[in-house]
Amino acid sequence: MSSTSKSFKRDPKLLSRMYLTMIMLGVLYAVFTLFLLRLGIPITFVGIIVGAMAIFQYYMSDKLVLKSSGAKEVSEKQEPKLHEIIKTLADRYNMPMPKVAVIDSAVPNAFATGRNPDNALVAVTTGIQKRLSTRELSAVIGHELAHVANRDIRVLAMGNFFVMLTSFLMTMFFWNMLFGGMGRRREGGGVMMIAYLVTMVVYFVGQMLVLSLTRYREYGADHTGSEISGDPGALADALGKISGTIAQIPDQDLRKMQTANAFLIISASLKNSGSANLFSTHPPVEERIKKLRELEHRMKYGAR
Amino acid sequence: MFRIFTSHKSPKNDWEAIEPILRTEKVLREKGEITPARRAGVIYRVNGANAFIDNLPNEIDSILYDGAGSTKTSYQLKDDSVGMKWIVLEDGNFQDLVSSVYTVGNSISSNGGKNNLIAAVFEFYFSGEINGKTKKLGLRTYCIYRYDRRAFYPFVPTGDKEGDRDRASEAVLANDMRKSGLNIETALTEWMGLWGIPF
Repeated sequence: MSSTSKSFKRDPKLLSRMYLTMIMLGVLYAVFTLFLLRLGIPITFVGIIVGAMAIFQYYMSDKLVLKSSGAKEVSEKQEPKLHEIIKTLADRYNMPMPKVAVIDSAVPNAFATGRNPDNALVAVTTGIQKRLSTRELSAVIGHELAHVANRDIRVLAMGNFFVMLTSFLMTMFFWNMLFGGMGRRREGGGVMMIAYLVTMVVYFVGQMLVLSLTRYREYGADHTGSEISGDPGALADALGKISGTIAQIPDQDLRKMQTANAFLIISASLKNSGSANLFSTHPPVEERIKKLRELEHRMKYGAR
Repeated sequence: MFRIFTSHKSPKNDWEAIEPILRTEKVLREKGEITPARRAGVIYRVNGANAFIDNLPNEIDSILYDGAGSTKTSYQLKDDSVGMKWIVLEDGNFQDLVSSVYTVGNSISSNGGKNNLIAAVFEFYFSGEINGKTKKLGLRTYCIYRYDRRAFYPFVPTGDKEGDRDRASEAVLANDMRKSGLNIETALTEWMGLWGIPF
């Protein structure tokens, strides 16, 4: 198999783009903070509240995810094959065995969470277990563990903090514009309006940057996961299977869907239109598959 | 002349959508992909809101055997595990089978039961090759017609559990069926399965 060393050959282009995005995010929010302070808007208090929320989310991510996704932790006895796959991969990453969970859902999906390798959790849906071979499932979990190994949750938490902060401020300024407040009733209407508009722009630009950063982390995890498994083709196959055209053919029964639709305004089939929304923070699958195939070629025949 | 944006006409009524299955069955049978079909089913639900639908079992004899278009198609009434009603039709002559399926569906529809109709299902036995290697001889295959979408799609169950289906075979079959002129549902997300078909 492949090397178990942690010194992976990083993709230099990807790394520079990732750092550039992070710098742009930093500059954006630094300028924004200075701007708000200049306007005399006390943002420290809001910053502390949102910061506390973000820290809580960061430290509780595994528990929160378990709660919100309906994932159930499973023992080695309940899921021996899944445990074995994850144990093998965790050993290769030199990380302790993460918690293992299963979500009872036909939608093929998997994710990992946890602020560091000591607090990691890997969850897979029953749908993905059914649709993928062991080799492919192992590649998908390898990709997910790469997020943990690369400390992506930390990067994401930082990004989320800023997006949360701006969205919080936007709401605050909006209500202030309508009803005045913050100790200087009516006086600061114009200032609030400017602050609101600027926050709105920062919110959208910030979100775009965070999303592109997330996409870079995806490529990074594809890369790391492939180095660990030594089999980039397996992840490419898995991606093709769970996100390709055929994967859109549903698991649901027509009769149940029709019965449910009798009580719904929006058709269930419209709501469940494929799994595209799962990948909205992800780069296009075709692009990921292409890069994985290139990596597979390089691994097999060496760099040209 | 102005067909730039629409590649094909969508069927105006159920007959326009169902009738091309005659050609599809012939083409696929001659290609050796399927064995001749003899059975089909019409699924509907009863909700107590329509006297004709509630009384349908007593009406089928007159629907099928009275009048000029009468056939020799035999039928059975079945309930499934989901609480739906099935009219299972059998006829050695595929043309008559298709005509009977249409007639039953049309009577339900024209008697105020349009929303009670769920699907018509044609049964085939798959005898083709998939990707030139796996020969899936005798695999039960269904061609589902959804009344609400006026479109067909293939369904190849691999087990009784919801979600057990051979998607790759379905994709191959759908392609051949489309080429033979059948209106295949373009949104793959609408290809809902039917597990536990009672025939």
